[in-house]
Amino acid sequence: MYMSELALWRRITAGILLLVPWVFYMVYPAYNMAKPELGGVPFFYWFQTLWLVIAAVLSLIGVLLLYPSKR
Amino acid sequence: MGPLIGPLGWGIFLTLFVFFVFLGFYGSRWRRGDLSQLSEWALAGRRLGTFLVWFLVGADLYTAYTFVAVPSGVFAKGALYFFAVPYVATVFALATAVMPALWRWSRLRGYVTAADFVQDRFNSKLLAGFIAATGIVAEFPYIALQIVGMQAVLTIMLLGLVKNVKLVSDLALTIAFIILAAFTYTSGLRGATLTAVFKDALIFLGVIAILVAAPLTVPGGFASAFKAAAANALATGVYTLKEPLLPAYITLWVGSSLALYLYPHAVNGALSAESDRKLAISTSLLPIYGIALALLALFGILVYGSSTATKILSLFPPSSRGILVVPALTVASLPEWLAAIALLGVFIGGLVPAAIMAMAQANLLVRNIIKPIYPSITPQGETRIAKWASVVFKFVALGFVFIVPATYAIWLQLLGGIIITQTLPAVFLGLVTDKLDKYSLMVGWAVGLGLGIYLFIAAAFSPLYPIAGHLVYIAVLALAVNLAIVLIGSAITGLMRGRITIAVKR
Repeated sequence: MYMSELALWRRITAGILLLVPWVFYMVYPAYNMAKPELGGVPFFYWFQTLWLVIAAVLSLIGVLLLYPSKR
Repeated sequence: MGPLIGPLGWGIFLTLFVFFVFLGFYGSRWRRGDLSQLSEWALAGRRLGTFLVWFLVGADLYTAYTFVAVPSGVFAKGALYFFAVPYVATVFALATAVMPALWRWSRLRGYVTAADFVQDRFNSKLLAGFIAATGIVAEFPYIALQIVGMQAVLTIMLLGLVKNVKLVSDLALTIAFIILAAFTYTSGLRGATLTAVFKDALIFLGVIAILVAAPLTVPGGFASAFKAAAANALATGVYTLKEPLLPAYITLWVGSSLALYLYPHAVNGALSAESDRKLAISTSLLPIYGIALALLALFGILVYGSSTATKILSLFPPSSRGILVVPALTVASLPEWLAAIALLGVFIGGLVPAAIMAMAQANLLVRNIIKPIYPSITPQGETRIAKWASVVFKFVALGFVFIVPATYAIWLQLLGGIIITQTLPAVFLGLVTDKLDKYSLMVGWAVGLGLGIYLFIAAAFSPLYPIAGHLVYIAVLALAVNLAIVLIGSAITGLMRGRITIAVKR
């Protein structure tokens, strides 16, 4: 299918972007702590929530690389 | 204690419910298509754009799992149940990579289910039948969980209003299900999509309203709620996750993440997209939806700071308090009219996914189990059976909830995850390679399933099993064994086949 016609750099970059959230959440020392708090919410909770937004942005960039609008 | 919801609240709840039902029936006229065709009824004619797929698939994820299971877990056990956040952050990255590929195959060859793909890819109706049956079975506890969520709303609304809350709420649920069955029968996925948009509008309104109002009713806001929760010494930690539970945390999100897009309803939602690009864009943006899930999870902690909500919960036995966290916090922190709107959101937040799930089960039954046995069935006959099957499945799940206590329904949803994950090699790896051997896939599936269910029972009906002193989600263990069998089996048969063709040439 047409995916194989897509430039290799686009596919590799997109693949890495989609992998980033998986790697981040695997590295638990990066988020399993109480401080600094945000509005009374421990780091453990708010930092993981913030990464939802980061994951969405990375995935969207990945998608735009994989599906160039003019093809 | 008097009723928590008075005539005003009930009036708003019922008026909005009538509008919801109207949207459900109106769906059959929206973007009119020939509803006697299965892809028209079940996939809304594959014409949903970025925005609608986002809502529809969001509605699949954003269910009673979010309102009931996650806050209930955080409330009762603490930080471990926050695994739902990494789960939704990662699942869509996986789906962005995988689902558009399945979409392209499906558009090209006219597939309606993942089992259709498996049948074609591995040229095996038997393997497809196994995959379909697994999907149907795994879906039941998920539907049951939706019903538990609806029960929680009715329990809070009926409290202090009627003597026998259980009887009245069961009756109300049955009526709601008859209405639901009627409109999914006539409108199919179109009805579900329209109601999904309405449902999400109410939910977002409700969640935002509680977030604004709760700090006013919870003195000291989150900081004091966390302190109050810490005083209760929740088993898995309050401020952070207890170190020994990290393997459990990671395997729970990984397992859940791998499982979601194998569920028939998620496949159904993805295949209803208009194009692979639109599907990919809407999927990549779905983690945003998860922000509300994270906030709802925190309500499991916030409730400890609200004296009104704690008082309501104390009227119930400890085992059923968890599922009431969100409805109780809603009535405790919002004015009655706004609480009624939010509660309706949670109520139909169980109803809409239940409809989509039963529809997906029905597709599998017709396409991958009945059709291979009776190949002469007409497309109209196919659709007729699917419509009726979706009605039957809904009531089976309802009966299941009336018999099994709510606490177990949540455990069983994680058993659903263990079961559905065993279809990963055939579906996801099938998209990448056609080199897998169908008999190895069947053996891997059977062993994974058997091992998963055995460990679930051996762990005393818990989804976590101890390995070297650490709890691990059974779905991941069983999948590892399943994958090893599939890969080794395929490698051996591949080598043998290679040898045979060489021998024939000589």
